[in-house]
Amino acid sequence: MRSARLTVKLSAPLVAIAGALGAGCASSVIVQSDFPTPLIQPLPVRMGVIYSPELQDYVHAESLPQQSTWTIGLGNANLAMLSPLFETMFAEIRTVEDVPLDPSAQLDGVLLPELEKFEFDVPIGTRDEFVEVWMQYSLTLFEPDGEVVTEWPVSGYGKAELTGNREDALSRAAIVAMREVGATISTKFAEQPDVQYWLEENRNEAALSAETRLGN
Amino acid sequence: MKLHCPPRRDSETSVRGGSGRLLALLALPLLTSCGVTSRMEPYKQTDAVINDGEQVVILARKHHANREAEQEFIDCISESLSKGRTGLEVHSSTAFEDMMYPWFEPSMAPLSTDDLATLLEKPGVMDQVRDTGVRFLVWLDGSTERVASGGGITCAAGVGGAGCMGLAWWEDDARYDATVWDIDELSSAGTIHADVKGRSVMPALVIPLPFIARPQAAACRGMTEQIRQFLTTPEGYGAGPDPELG
Repeated sequence: MRSARLTVKLSAPLVAIAGALGAGCASSVIVQSDFPTPLIQPLPVRMGVIYSPELQDYVHAESLPQQSTWTIGLGNANLAMLSPLFETMFAEIRTVEDVPLDPSAQLDGVLLPELEKFEFDVPIGTRDEFVEVWMQYSLTLFEPDGEVVTEWPVSGYGKAELTGNREDALSRAAIVAMREVGATISTKFAEQPDVQYWLEENRNEAALSAETRLGN
Repeated sequence: MKLHCPPRRDSETSVRGGSGRLLALLALPLLTSCGVTSRMEPYKQTDAVINDGEQVVILARKHHANREAEQEFIDCISESLSKGRTGLEVHSSTAFEDMMYPWFEPSMAPLSTDDLATLLEKPGVMDQVRDTGVRFLVWLDGSTERVASGGGITCAAGVGGAGCMGLAWWEDDARYDATVWDIDELSSAGTIHADVKGRSVMPALVIPLPFIARPQAAACRGMTEQIRQFLTTPEGYGAGPDPELG
């Protein structure tokens, strides 16, 4: 993986303009894909999710030694990956702006997904056959009052054969990495110790309030 | 203009100094060795066959090894298996991975039939597999690699014309293993090993004449035929070495 990198937040049109201006010495990729709905059972909680502008407009810019400058737009793909994921993972999901929540929101918790690191490698020689991508997201779970329950780093790796042009291969590798991230989130989120404890607490609270309602 | 494919000092020097006749004499053994040699080793340990209405899916093992079966190879086998009078019902590997997401992603895919059994016990997974109609999973592992190359070709252009002189050769090795799982029986039905070597030669006597061997295409044809027989022949196919022979 290359060391020199700069992550900036730009909009998708700016990525295209940057690509056009730097044609011949720059590579521009906007990662776009439909992500499948995971085959999992939803957790019995009502969850809010914060899609920050940074996540929605995420652009990675990096200058590779002996190669061109790369500008990679991941904002659309972030939403395309996370949105169906969270809709399937939880009994109820609602987009919120921020924490703490108003008590009338009636949500059990809030998730803040962030893309923290993005690294990639595009081969120079003809003998190297794969483009590689590694990315790390962070998933922060909040109580409705804003208290942090846990912060969980989730990473994904993807590679793609360099059969066509490099931009296509990089896009395919990024999609593989994002699918891996989605796979880990959907299958391992409830297994995190802090999340397990939080889910148990929520179950107990729900049972207690049901009993109270029955008692009244 | 000078082409290297790729260069080797010793052979390049000999080409420069030789005449066309000498080159032809030197090239003769290589030209005769140009071609493909293949070895297929099927081993079937059940009598299970694919029935009408049942499908097979071809998947690549992608456990982050340096090499993995190329997508074009997967597509080649999937398409070839479904073609012809004896074509099988082949499920698209991409569609299968999407329908079963996230359970067949590289880091989650079952590595053994025990893992598969555990996976199928998860809520909704077995029903989804039934919806796909897939009974047999074929895991493909392996790749095609260049294992040797040598020679060199020198080209030159002048007022009187242009031409090339020399000889280049290379050898590719396509090695693949197919492991067949029977979802109904939750067991491995057997394996097929394919090893196809191809040596390509390109002599240049004014004009380069490529004699290109395509071991990956040959491996695709061979593997397809073996998988077809594997899934349709109940007995007497790929039973492994005769135990009486030791």
